[in-house]
Amino acid sequence: MEKFTKAFPSKPLRVPKDRRWALAGVVGSGNLEVMFERAARASDTMECHVETSIPGFRDSWLAALADFAHHYPVGGTRVTIHDQGAAPVLVNLRLRQAYDHLVKTKT
Amino acid sequence: MSQLHLFHEQTARQRVAAVTDVGSFAELLPPPERLTSPYLAQLGIPVSFDDGVVIGRAKIDGKKVYIAAQVGQFVGGAVGEIHGAKLTGLFKAAARDGVPCVVIIESGGVRLHEGSAGEIAIAETMRAIFECRARKVPTIAVIASDIGAYGGMGILSTCCDFRVMTEHGRLGISGPIVIEKWMGKKAYDSSNRALVWKTSGGKTKYLLGDADALVHDAADAVREAIGKLLTKSSPVTLKNAKARQKELEKRLKRFGRTADPDDVWKGMGVRDIERASLASGPEFVALAKAGRK
Repeated sequence: MEKFTKAFPSKPLRVPKDRRWALAGVVGSGNLEVMFERAARASDTMECHVETSIPGFRDSWLAALADFAHHYPVGGTRVTIHDQGAAPVLVNLRLRQAYDHLVKTKT
Repeated sequence: MSQLHLFHEQTARQRVAAVTDVGSFAELLPPPERLTSPYLAQLGIPVSFDDGVVIGRAKIDGKKVYIAAQVGQFVGGAVGEIHGAKLTGLFKAAARDGVPCVVIIESGGVRLHEGSAGEIAIAETMRAIFECRARKVPTIAVIASDIGAYGGMGILSTCCDFRVMTEHGRLGISGPIVIEKWMGKKAYDSSNRALVWKTSGGKTKYLLGDADALVHDAADAVREAIGKLLTKSSPVTLKNAKARQKELEKRLKRFGRTADPDDVWKGMGVRDIERASLASGPEFVALAKAGRK
């Protein structure tokens, strides 16, 4: 088990105020769950906390998260990830799914 | 949306949304509460925000319900201390408020990592179900995925007033692999899907009266079946427990030595095994009813 926390610069999030959190994925083999939570105040950083059952891939995680924060306006969010060995491409997909759930007005 | 997906392919949250009135579901202890398993964390196994079960309040056909759905993909939907406490609390709230409670089961039973804590949690949930029934508060279990309801969750499902199943659903105590390990491959071949489903699948369970409804693998069908059963409940008394025991003894006497599950189907009045095997849930119900006459 490896855990780490890091903040990434990102453009401020534009979200309907009533949506406080969104979830995508599930903690299963080769899968992960991603939760976005809207912070109390708008900001230009995305706070990330990752817990993964596969140690030794910290650099890949940080690269994937930095890339996502760069391409999506997710400043002012807290992202928590529980991972059970997902491939990077799936990490990116789950991040996008959770983001979509957060910003879409209708589910 | 419900028609686009097969019920057994939907996630727990999608299932809850699909069987309840649009927008009526309010989750209790949602993921941001982070009520996660302390045991898994100690063992270095990743935890889940909801500990593998979604619970909350909702409405079905305008009527208030409490509803839970297990997440089968997270440690096989197994019940740990937190997961079980969420179920217990939900049924207790149902008993207190006189609101029917529905549980969509997808679980192998107790989470072995949490041993006794998981066992106790399931026992407490069963007690809460009996509290509901003592107060005539309807309790319904839905078993609609091939993970099914096994171990403690199999027993728990039979504590409810009713069970709604699809032909994908399976219900039992020991799972097929466990039975094979104990009895040998000759006695029970767990890789024989036809055998496994013919002994524990929805169709057989409906024939034997363990399932009260057998429906299409679609949220609307599940929802309709739940709606019909939401008004009825009966207390568990010594008298009806004894009557049920007699029924089961009779069943054991009749079918206990039967090696071929087809003989059980025939014994229960199914005339055309081939046709019944290929029938959809509702078609099978019609065949079973015709056979009883």
